[in-house]
Amino acid sequence: MLFFAGNIFAANVAMDFPAANKFYAEGKFAEAAAGYEKILQTGAASPALYFNCGNAEFKSGNLGKAVAAFRRAELLAPRDSEIRANLDFVRNQVEGATLRESRWRDWLGQLTLNEWTMLTVIVFWLAFFLLAAKQICPALAPRLREATFAIGTLLIFSGACLGLDAAKHFSKQAAVVVSPETVARSGPFDEAQNAFAVHDGVELSVLDRHDDWIQVTDGSGKIGWLQTKQVDVLPGA
Amino acid sequence: MERHLAEKFPRRHNRKLYSFSIAVILILATLSFIPVPTNAASFTASLDRDSIALGESATLTLKFEGDLPQSEPSLPEIPGLNIGSALRNSIDLNINGVPSSILTLTYSLAPQHTGDFTIPALTADVNGQRLATAPLKLNVTQPQVPMAADIKSGSQIAFMKLTLPKTNIYTGEVMAADLRIYYRQDARLAQPPRLTDLPVAGFTVGKIASSDQSQVQIGNAIYNVIPAKIALTAIKSGPLSIGPIAVGLLLDVPSENQPRDPFFAQFGVHSPFFSGEQKQVALATERVNVESLPLPVENVPADFNGAVGNYSMTTTAGPTNLATGDPITVRVQISGRGALDAITLPNQAAWNDFKIFPPTSKVETTDQLGLEGDKTFEEIVTPQNTDIRALPPFSFSLFNPDDGKYHTLTQSAVPLAVHSGGATVMPAIAVNKNSAGENQTPQDILPIKENFGTLETKSVPLIVQPKFLAMQSLPVLAFLAAFIWRKRTDSLANNPRLRRQRAVAQLVRDGISDLKNFAVENKPEEFFATLFRLLQEQLGERLDCPASAITENVIDEHPVLRGAPKTTPDDLRELFQLCNQARYAPVRGSSELNSVAAQFEKTASELQNLKT
Repeated sequence: MLFFAGNIFAANVAMDFPAANKFYAEGKFAEAAAGYEKILQTGAASPALYFNCGNAEFKSGNLGKAVAAFRRAELLAPRDSEIRANLDFVRNQVEGATLRESRWRDWLGQLTLNEWTMLTVIVFWLAFFLLAAKQICPALAPRLREATFAIGTLLIFSGACLGLDAAKHFSKQAAVVVSPETVARSGPFDEAQNAFAVHDGVELSVLDRHDDWIQVTDGSGKIGWLQTKQVDVLPGA
Repeated sequence: MERHLAEKFPRRHNRKLYSFSIAVILILATLSFIPVPTNAASFTASLDRDSIALGESATLTLKFEGDLPQSEPSLPEIPGLNIGSALRNSIDLNINGVPSSILTLTYSLAPQHTGDFTIPALTADVNGQRLATAPLKLNVTQPQVPMAADIKSGSQIAFMKLTLPKTNIYTGEVMAADLRIYYRQDARLAQPPRLTDLPVAGFTVGKIASSDQSQVQIGNAIYNVIPAKIALTAIKSGPLSIGPIAVGLLLDVPSENQPRDPFFAQFGVHSPFFSGEQKQVALATERVNVESLPLPVENVPADFNGAVGNYSMTTTAGPTNLATGDPITVRVQISGRGALDAITLPNQAAWNDFKIFPPTSKVETTDQLGLEGDKTFEEIVTPQNTDIRALPPFSFSLFNPDDGKYHTLTQSAVPLAVHSGGATVMPAIAVNKNSAGENQTPQDILPIKENFGTLETKSVPLIVQPKFLAMQSLPVLAFLAAFIWRKRTDSLANNPRLRRQRAVAQLVRDGISDLKNFAVENKPEEFFATLFRLLQEQLGERLDCPASAITENVIDEHPVLRGAPKTTPDDLRELFQLCNQARYAPVRGSSELNSVAAQFEKTASELQNLKT
């Protein structure tokens, strides 16, 4: 059943993706963006799809949607230099203060959560394999001392990175403003006072949610509430 | 004639033939003038009236007689003439045994302006024949404004009046024209009045509002009054005019043969059994001249942007303690009378240090025409630097037509405390690693990817999958197993007595098995030799002395055996004696050997449980 569903899936993408690319090549960026969105709505995703969608949105003048698409592409392929290049280019066009990851978080993002998990698991298995070998064959202990130390250190390091990445994935969410000239309010209701202005494409950190509102901060201490329709909340890193 | 015939046809026979021919020709000619009942079709067009007043309507009738058309003709569009839907009426006839039909299509024509209208010739295909009507002309004249004397006499069934509050206004000023429709009490409206012409060149027309009907006596008649107000704004200066405004009424008027029912008349209503005739009445007002004065050119405020009216202003701004880039909401409320919708906020030249976002506005009016009320603007401004100490004064200039002067409404400056906010992170310039120069700034984004790539499926991260986490316990369990094994091994290596205990226990187990085999095979010599050896080994292990040194004497000598059950030493002595006797005694049977083996097994078990 899964195989059958997968074949139908692949057939739609095989036709719609090149069609959207053709729109882009003809300069019909809005149509291209709509074509990529249509594929995304079927549940299909790939770094290239998000990348192209980001390009089309940028060319259509939608900075926020472009940033969100490139961020999603980066989540799937964190080491793709083209995605990174385009994301940085679009970020350069965004007006106003925007939340930026620190260097070490940026470095942490070079691997996906699953990649950190697999790395830690491999080192974990290796470490316990060495420990078991030392129990079974104590004569090997002297020769394995350095290796055990190195593996142990690596295990602690990768485990720490995994923990931090998991904490970032599950507790911290990012949002990108997709409306032009938006004002964050001091409370989750229309009559609340204005807190600060945000521009299309600004990246914010999500602090809380309430009905159709989310509480955000731009990292400089300014906190406000935006309506969910004004932002695109990114999935966990 | 006879002589002529005689000369022409001398023979009698030929004369008769000639006369007969002439008669036939005459009869045939006569018959040709008699109308023969056939199905010949006709198509005609006619107007009930060829001259009407603006506000009235004319009726165009298209008639097919004889045969019916294959498709009904469609009327062309005539500019300025509204053509209603066709009313269709068809009659089938039988004339002298010949079937015939009459199809009538009726259209209502309502002109939108005065002048001459031409309804062109219409064509239709009937039974293979193309028929056409003659073109028609319709003349539309301006409705007559009744004389004042006629109005006062009460003889007019309906009339209309236009009143302006003033005839001198300023360009941009708005006023409410008062229009009243009067119709006599004995008539009733068959449909709402229809405004057919509103000539207001030089004005823009705003809302039209009507209010409740009333009654008024004029002369000897009582009239129902339909009041309406029209908001008009002068958009250019000079002499302007309003009207004549034309309205069409369709009234049910009582026929002369049916007077009003006096019972219902005393209540001012018509009898429910009212039946009269419908009458179209075209009403028109006088033309009213208006002088639109230009706005003064002296002392025009610099920020005046065309607001004409009588207004006041209130403004609020907040917050006042904020960081650079934070929004300040400025609310400006303009209240009063005038063209509120047209009011826009002027540019504030003194607000250079602020970024100004496009304002939003909301109008709330307090009258039907929308000429009085409030217009509230909400504008977001953000200070751009920390040197700002106040929001500069807000000014709004207007021209008040009531006093003919410009006025500038000013809100004083609002003190602000602006401090520095979060610094904007300067984004790193994107550099394509594949580009030729390292310091080359990209001018555009990189092109799209042609291949879709690997399809990603949305799945839960591995780190929260229970099965995955459960699998990580395997190396831990393996290590624990290895650790425990190591401990046991080391424990054995450091405890020779324990090692001997386990070795002897294994030896005894194997020995008992041998004893049983020897018993079955009835091999007493091997049996008792093995038994003796096992006794030595088991006792040697329990007593912690060499097995070879074990004899029957140790049973009494060694204190360890004193802690054994009372039967154990006796069993041991018996077993030793049996072994001794076996050297000298004759061969025993298998059953006896089995019982000896069982006894040894029991004794060995008691010895193994003995604490040493």
